[in-house]
Amino acid sequence: MRALRYFHFVFWFALFAAFVWISAPIVWPAIRENRIGPIATNRSIDAYLGALSGIEHGSAKLPDVFRRLGKDGSLVVFVRDENAQSEFLGMMIGYVSWPREVQVIKVSGRTVEKELADIKPSSVAGVVFCSIDPPTWLQHRVRLGSSITLVPVTEAAP
Amino acid sequence: MIVLGLFGALFTIVIAGFGMTTSIFARTGRINLIECACLSWLFGCGIVSLLLWVFGAFCSGLPLQAIVALVCVVLVIVGWRAKQNANANIDLPKPATITEWILGCVILIEIAVLIFVAFKHTLGWDGLLNWEIKARYAFLNGGSIPASYYSSAGRGFSHPEYPLGIPFTELWLYLWMGEPNQFWVKIIFPSFYAACAPLLALLVSRLSGKRWIGLFIAVLLPFVPSVSASPGGIVVGYVDIPLSVFYLAALGYLLLWLKTNDRPFISVFAACSALLPWIKSEGIILWSVLVLLGFVLSLAKRRLAHFVISIVPGCALILAWRVYLKLVHLWPHSDFAPLSLSTLSQNLSRLGDIFGILFAELSEPVHWSIFWLLAAVALIYLFASRKLERIALASAVVAPILLYSLTYVFSTWPSYSAHMTSSVSRLLLHVMPAGWLGIGLALSQTKRETQTL
Repeated sequence: MRALRYFHFVFWFALFAAFVWISAPIVWPAIRENRIGPIATNRSIDAYLGALSGIEHGSAKLPDVFRRLGKDGSLVVFVRDENAQSEFLGMMIGYVSWPREVQVIKVSGRTVEKELADIKPSSVAGVVFCSIDPPTWLQHRVRLGSSITLVPVTEAAP
Repeated sequence: MIVLGLFGALFTIVIAGFGMTTSIFARTGRINLIECACLSWLFGCGIVSLLLWVFGAFCSGLPLQAIVALVCVVLVIVGWRAKQNANANIDLPKPATITEWILGCVILIEIAVLIFVAFKHTLGWDGLLNWEIKARYAFLNGGSIPASYYSSAGRGFSHPEYPLGIPFTELWLYLWMGEPNQFWVKIIFPSFYAACAPLLALLVSRLSGKRWIGLFIAVLLPFVPSVSASPGGIVVGYVDIPLSVFYLAALGYLLLWLKTNDRPFISVFAACSALLPWIKSEGIILWSVLVLLGFVLSLAKRRLAHFVISIVPGCALILAWRVYLKLVHLWPHSDFAPLSLSTLSQNLSRLGDIFGILFAELSEPVHWSIFWLLAAVALIYLFASRKLERIALASAVVAPILLYSLTYVFSTWPSYSAHMTSSVSRLLLHVMPAGWLGIGLALSQTKRETQTL
């Protein structure tokens, strides 16, 4: 009985040792990576917009740009389907453009000619392209970073 | 000023929870300070978020903040009076041996490290776009989420149907800080870990009768890579760890109640289980598992009446949230098709793939090391013990995993396997602390079971 009890603890502590042995090289680098800060209000959203599109202080800049589109009208955001970065940027636009209504449209191709034709200019203030090239005929594009382009709606109608 | 506000918010959360905890444990004559602190955080988050949700329907801004803070103060006064009337003592249990001292110190160091690490990372995808977004919009609207958010098709990506337990805890911090500060708000998540580790130690100690085993298991907890190093962990501001802590507490106190028949334990179970669906939608599955297990066990112990009363708060909260979503005209958006026999029979062929992906995830060392191997061995011990409570504990680990996996039969994603791959690791986190509880009891394997903490 005592031997069984001894075996029980040896068995469990061997398992725990193996567990820690495998875990430590995974957990330790994760603990060490990154540094604290900056201690900023919009720490997370600014970090993402900066990393994905090169925009500094995007949480302040983007709402400011959208405000200039006027009070009314929604934003149509084109994102590339099954492209995590493009979809994430589209959601970021949705996040920072509150309380303006947004419509996120996923497109599979590299062009959005057909989808643009379906837009009703009367209810839309601007069109945003996330990691998608706007059609060549679209003028007055406002580049909001390396992969975000805004076109005020009066310019977006074909 | 921001940091002062942060302390104000955390203080009011803790005092609200402290009031409720002392009210529950006053009659026992002895209040364990560590247990009280852990439960104070859990209850405090629940109370404050629920109060913001309820009172936010009637007022906003400073009056809302003042009313909720006032209720927190009233709760602590009521709790303190209950403690005084019952002549209960607040007791800080001290380690009895050098081993316990060392293990206790290691737990404290681990908590400190995880708090530090949490501030090194940004909020993750879901942490930002599913959870914090609600807190931010509510803050910008004076303390309540505007109805237009729920009916907005364009913001369906942020899952407006998800419950508000954690977003409104974040909102409480924002209201006190005066701004939606995404840096300081992260304190919430390691705080849940800080509640989880001592609670796990305490529950294992009480259920096994050996304090050192409880402390040892709590020391091992952060070595699960998913806690700190993978998507869904503490550092990215997801709600999966908080949900797992509520599940651990609800399960642990249910087992303690079944073992001792002490009334405070079923009260803690009632509160923690009720908050499960308030933290995350999947909490309904966890709540259902606990209700089923509790029903069977209380029937066997002939204590059904008390148990049925204990599930009333959970039923009420689930119902209230459903009614609320109807009232705000939620935009229909779901990753899952409605449950139906036709969908089930149509998608039954997915089961092979689903369990294949599940097995691959369980054996993924980058996420879990060999935690699930340990848990599997523990489950064999628990089932082999032929004790009803231990079999219930094993079932409480296995059943949610099976139910979660089965939900992917109803996935509406173009690729259900992509859906499962992207989310199952986080779902497994929900039962991870309960798995450690099972490991602790398997390790103890003792007939002498006394309360030592």
